[in-house]
Amino acid sequence: MSLLEARRNIGDMLGAAGTGNALELRGVTRMFGALAALTDVTLSVKSGERRAVLGSNGAGKTTLFNCVTGDFLPTSGTIRLFGEDVTKFPPYERIRRGLRRTYQISLLFNGLSVLDNVYLACRGVSRGRYSLIRPRRNDALMQSAFELIEAVHLGEVAETKVAELSYGQQRQLEIALALAGAPRFILFDEPAAGLSPTERSELVQILTSLPRHIGYIIIEHDMDVALRVADSVSMMHNGRIFKEGLPSEIENDPEVQQLYLGGGHG
Amino acid sequence: MNGFVHRHPVWTLLVVLAAALVLWALIAPWPDGMEAVFGRKRIFLNAVFNGITLGALYFLVASGFTLIFGLMKNVNLAHGSLYLLGGYLGYEVAEATGLWLGAFVVVFVAVGLLGILLQFFVFRRMEGEDLRQTLVTIGISIVLADVMLWIWGGQSYQILTPEWLSGPVRLPLVTGMRGEGELVYLTFPAVRIAILVASIALGVLMWLALNRTRIGMLIRAGVDDRDMLAASGVRVQYVFVMVFAFGAGLAGMAGIVGGTFQSIVAGEDMRFLLASLVVVIVGGMGSILGAALGAVLIGLAEQLGSVYAPTYSVVLTFLIMALVLAFRPQGLLGR
Amino acid sequence: MAGKARPASDVPAWLVGMPLSYWVVGIVLLFMPVLANDFVLFQILGWSFILGMIALSLMFLGGYGGMVSLAQMSIAALAGYMVAILGTSGVQAISLHWPWWLYVPVAIIVAAIFATMIGALAVRTEGIYTIMITLAIAAAFFYFTRQNYTIFNGYSGFANVVPPELFGINWRRPIPFYYLALFCAAISYLVVVYVSRSPFGLALQGVRDNPRRMAALGFNVVMHRVVAYTFASVIAAVAGILLVWQNAQISPGTAGLPAVIDILVIAIVGGLARPIGPFIGALIYVLLRTFSPDVLLTLGLPGDRFKLMIGLGFLAVVYWSPDGVLGLWDRWRTHRRKAADPLTGQGGAP
Repeated sequence: MSLLEARRNIGDMLGAAGTGNALELRGVTRMFGALAALTDVTLSVKSGERRAVLGSNGAGKTTLFNCVTGDFLPTSGTIRLFGEDVTKFPPYERIRRGLRRTYQISLLFNGLSVLDNVYLACRGVSRGRYSLIRPRRNDALMQSAFELIEAVHLGEVAETKVAELSYGQQRQLEIALALAGAPRFILFDEPAAGLSPTERSELVQILTSLPRHIGYIIIEHDMDVALRVADSVSMMHNGRIFKEGLPSEIENDPEVQQLYLGGGHG
Repeated sequence: MNGFVHRHPVWTLLVVLAAALVLWALIAPWPDGMEAVFGRKRIFLNAVFNGITLGALYFLVASGFTLIFGLMKNVNLAHGSLYLLGGYLGYEVAEATGLWLGAFVVVFVAVGLLGILLQFFVFRRMEGEDLRQTLVTIGISIVLADVMLWIWGGQSYQILTPEWLSGPVRLPLVTGMRGEGELVYLTFPAVRIAILVASIALGVLMWLALNRTRIGMLIRAGVDDRDMLAASGVRVQYVFVMVFAFGAGLAGMAGIVGGTFQSIVAGEDMRFLLASLVVVIVGGMGSILGAALGAVLIGLAEQLGSVYAPTYSVVLTFLIMALVLAFRPQGLLGR
Repeated sequence: MAGKARPASDVPAWLVGMPLSYWVVGIVLLFMPVLANDFVLFQILGWSFILGMIALSLMFLGGYGGMVSLAQMSIAALAGYMVAILGTSGVQAISLHWPWWLYVPVAIIVAAIFATMIGALAVRTEGIYTIMITLAIAAAFFYFTRQNYTIFNGYSGFANVVPPELFGINWRRPIPFYYLALFCAAISYLVVVYVSRSPFGLALQGVRDNPRRMAALGFNVVMHRVVAYTFASVIAAVAGILLVWQNAQISPGTAGLPAVIDILVIAIVGGLARPIGPFIGALIYVLLRTFSPDVLLTLGLPGDRFKLMIGLGFLAVVYWSPDGVLGLWDRWRTHRRKAADPLTGQGGAP
């Protein structure tokens, strides 16, 4: 490694530490054929910051998540995670660096039990993914799986197959999978969609009681939920971020109200 | 095309150079040094032409396979059985009536009808269940293979070439020079030339039908969006049945072609199923153009391989498939 | 599964949780040589164990990994070939006469490397393409062994390949061979059952159900699939070694396309859902194959229409019971429980 490179790497590290950005997107564009799902998106979220991303359907929010997790590679632009350029990384490398996500439509392992699902999530970000030895019940990972299941109130159905869970329970499991291991930054894709009012307040409680060092981005249509759990808000429209601000500013912004809140939501 | 030239000037240059080299090797007489390395030019040319004709036969079989897969996502592993059945039936008809062309009509209708039955009793009932469809068609191919063995036995059958197509044709390609500077030209069986021309014509017609006619547009729309096709008032099932019948009939006719310039014998069903698989894996699933490209590549690889490296000709075919899978899993012209 | 809910005690949980049927089957199999003659032991049961193991390796990939590979017979045959080439056979010019403790592991390793390469190619695409690609690879293997004379001795293959005389026992005698095959089959079965609940096995099932989510949990999905091919190949390779010892010969036809398809038929007829399925399928197949001429003749049909029967039986199974014979069994049990338990109206899963 040349001296120049070494200096640049150190600079990178210092820069990362200095700005303390958990996630940093620069000029990210994603095309599907001739259609631009994301256009020149630049976004930075500090460590521990909680951000809500709002926008109508088709605004590019989920595509944004898919680019961050690596399900799609961006057509152009760079993505940095905790200061490291991960633009070309496969999804699992990003996850192993502390990124997590939930899905708008639950993507669970229907043939396996709740415990197996959560155990897999814990195993995915630790060593021994190819281990042929069955886990014991007092195994450290098994214990953390149990704790997680308790944390999302699924203790009673731990041995039940996922296919037999109610919709609300599946949504909770979806969140449990994202909390496994030691997450540093989480992407929540409409976690409240389809939940009852009680389940919603449970969700808000889970989100607000996360340790402060864990930052996240939440996509949410329910303004009530979104503004209660977020420190800041980004507004998306037609694949672009057109406004950022504090929840109170966004709520009262006339342009936002016209574009988004005026659409009969509520 | 133009975009490719602009984006990859070096590659374009290489492709043009390679094409020029191949053209020269085909047309001009070879210098002595080259004959010393590659053997007689006549052998090379023969291998190339045999390869292309074999490719034409593979195309006939594989195009039906890829058409059915492209439209309905149906994997019909009994496709080779349709080929073999077409060959046997064609032999019987040609023997009984002496009409070579007549056999094509009869076989196309008969095997096409079998295709309709398959679509009706198997695929329509298991739409979207790829694995089950595949397994059922494997079962059907086992049963058909044994029934055909029962009826026609293990011996091989050769369908006689009609008189008007027998005998050689002189091609305007130089194979070498006689002592006093007289050029020697390549001769090739007329029936093979006819098959080659017919396959190319069929390929062009299929391409035109798919890309330039209303029904073709409908079929291609069905590939991309079945619901849209249904919503537009087209009877999807009707289109499916027609395409299936056509693809099956094509495989049956290919059986006659294969029986004429090779032979028909038990076990050929598997060989041609595999050829179809490899051709469409290499060319790209669901693409007619891809099937043509894949068929010619595999045909050439087999024939050139069997001339220059007899032990490894199969490996050559397989290597092409492995390379395509490694670098372009969707096939050369697949999407 | 049942053992997991129990508290830890001095007796190992797996021993306590073992159902009665396991004990019965185990004891019957152990004392089979008292009941059965040499033909049954060697030809029927021995062969069933071997085919069952090859089909088990397919079941592992297909049932847990969602990848139906048709190359498992070729992998087994390669291991068999390695035994003939590295060990001793009737072809003096090729065989290297290595001792058994060297050629057995090397044969397994070579087969595993071959399988890993097949896996690396096959996982480039998904679903139905796997069948097509592995079928093409199996065909390439068959044609290659038939054409290559320097290593695989071409059309005639190798004869006089016999197991080593270990502990002074002739392992090709029916009773020793029966126990050898039973031992290997039982170990393979138990290993698959055990591994299915290990992190590797669980993750493989996760990859089958939802590859995208597995990637989002930190798993390298492609690598996991390839490793599954490697793992399954070990079982197939051991079976291939037993197969070459049983037949005392190996030739291209061992992994010809009919044989390749037969393995699929066995696995599907038995059922891909559980590791016992392939062995049931293999037993049915071997019984049919052995006794079908008699049955066919009594029915007034030609005796050599065995393939027709297999094909029709296979069609019937995939048409009416996609889970194989095991699926039929499960349905019958559920049905009976429903009848016995009118209050809940539910047939609990076994």
